[in-house]
Amino acid sequence: MRTLAYYRGCLASLSAKELATSTEALAPQLGFDLIELESVTCCGAGDIHEAEPDYYLHLNARILAYAEATGSDTLMTICNVCTLNLRQANWELKNDEELLARVNTNLESVGVPSYSGGIDVKHLLWLIAEGDGYDRLKEVAHKGLKGLRVAPFYGCQILRPSKLLGFEDPDRPWTLEAIIEACGGEAVDYPAKIKCCGFPIIQAREEVALGELLQPIQQATEAGADAIVTPCPLCHLSLDAWQSKLEASTGRRFKMPILHLSQLIGVAAGLEESELNFKRHVVSVKPVVERLAV
Amino acid sequence: MTEAAVHTEYATMDVALKIWRYDSSTGERSLETYEVEAPEWVTLLDVLDIVKDRVDGTLAYRKSCRMMICGSCGMRMDGAAVLACRTRMAPLVERGHVPVISAMGNLPIIKDLVVDMGPFWGKIRAVTPWLDTGYAPLPDREHMVEQEDVTPIHKEALCIMCGCCVSECNSMEADPDFLGPAALAKGFRFVGDPRDHADVDRLNNLNDEHGIWDCTRCYFCNERCPKGVDPRDAIAKLGAESVKQGIDHDMGAKHAKWFVKSAETTGWLRETELVPKTQGIVASIKQMKFAMNLARHGKVPLPFPPHVADRVDESRALRKITQLQDRQGALGHVQGERALARIEHTDPGGARRDAPEVTLGETPPPAEG
Repeated sequence: MRTLAYYRGCLASLSAKELATSTEALAPQLGFDLIELESVTCCGAGDIHEAEPDYYLHLNARILAYAEATGSDTLMTICNVCTLNLRQANWELKNDEELLARVNTNLESVGVPSYSGGIDVKHLLWLIAEGDGYDRLKEVAHKGLKGLRVAPFYGCQILRPSKLLGFEDPDRPWTLEAIIEACGGEAVDYPAKIKCCGFPIIQAREEVALGELLQPIQQATEAGADAIVTPCPLCHLSLDAWQSKLEASTGRRFKMPILHLSQLIGVAAGLEESELNFKRHVVSVKPVVERLAV
Repeated sequence: MTEAAVHTEYATMDVALKIWRYDSSTGERSLETYEVEAPEWVTLLDVLDIVKDRVDGTLAYRKSCRMMICGSCGMRMDGAAVLACRTRMAPLVERGHVPVISAMGNLPIIKDLVVDMGPFWGKIRAVTPWLDTGYAPLPDREHMVEQEDVTPIHKEALCIMCGCCVSECNSMEADPDFLGPAALAKGFRFVGDPRDHADVDRLNNLNDEHGIWDCTRCYFCNERCPKGVDPRDAIAKLGAESVKQGIDHDMGAKHAKWFVKSAETTGWLRETELVPKTQGIVASIKQMKFAMNLARHGKVPLPFPPHVADRVDESRALRKITQLQDRQGALGHVQGERALARIEHTDPGGARRDAPEVTLGETPPPAEG
């Protein structure tokens, strides 16, 4: 078992609890022993990063410091936005001694352990994709996906800016496709898989956001996908919860089921409904479940 | 020099590429394949020159300096905006890849690879791209500025206005009136200039409907910019300056401020209150039907009891400290640039494999931009 510090983030504790339950049920099968960080806060998303960047840096330094205190050298994330936020803060702190010293002084002054730079931040997707992950995945996904046609949707902040993320080619990513295939599904290709779901502005600029959301859902539908899978709970919320608004604004019916990465693998690995929690989806996943049950 | 002499001087290679041809006067479009012999050091721009010179003189594209200064030769290769003069062809030839070349996105196509930059320049003009010294008397001689005072706008000043960032902007695809990454980066270049004294007016203008809070943070602009301007980071600087100066009437600013409030009160996002805090009570009531549907699926977590982070007093205290340490506004972003400038490419040590050959760009680009 590989011991990993684990940052759940806001949404997996709130509106996307199904992401937490499926991830935490799946982790032991993937060989991950998760130590969930308890004394941490929101990473600030793009919002605190934008509005109060110094506060953003300190919140993320605090998360990194508590991750380091677990003794693990890796912090696992399950959200694209958390991943970019933590990796950017981590890079800045590791590569600027003066900045690290100032932040550490502030952390210590409020009782937070100082951070020495010993953490690498990795998304669940990358932890599965690296090393012998696929071989292990094929064993875990013993129930398979019976040729289910799955459209990968990466979301932005696991690909760009690639200088901070850099795990794979941001224009030609392949990890989700490889996971879909390792689980026994068929990956559906479409250009918008690397584009934005619109979520960051879905409350302040709903019309613009829906214009962005249309591309992946329409293209995946036209490519014949049975479902879309995403590694980001914010993309999931946009694709799943706002799909009804997209249907209302376009006059089209999509009814496209949206799966979290951990649910896609989880269903192939035979997790229970109490762990997958499909009932928490707004767009029904029933067609997928029924197809896999045959 | 004769052509034969060129061939003896340089090793050559056979270069193939596909180009989306388009004529706006007839609406005709076609994907044409070209194969030419070229020196192994050629760029995409060199290959286009060879095609135009030896194969088809009607091919239209823009060029001027050939050295990444003029910003004329922005176009798409396999669906991604590049400067043709910066893009070496040898690596593609070596792996047998035949790239698809097309005009930039988000701008109307005039002919082949030439787009109408009119909308682009209109947005640049809209941010008043010149110094406004306000009521300050003009100095008798040149206005001397210390290096440290212009460091905050160093990256934004590198822009060559090629349009590669605009080409890929996801928000602009959905809202063509969005000012977009190039104009907003130019906007910060003046907001952050110590000689300019119109920053409040500028920020108010940039907080309009199609301004900074239209940005969806897709980071395509940072990814595509050939000069390291990182327009998304410039937009974040504008957001931070707006909040610092109390220019927070836009829903985007209110949304961001609620995250700050959440972090310092409960530590975690107070998700359910985010809608009324962003949109106001009246607009939120109109969302009730939608919210009820989400609530049926557990997507509207109850605000009570609040989900409070353990040791949240620490994050509360850190906010107070950061407010006293003079890194508010754009300076909070600038402080990270020293470290970020050292990145070539981080590698989380993970797996990489050759990207599959894909057909990005095979779909014809929309002629209307």
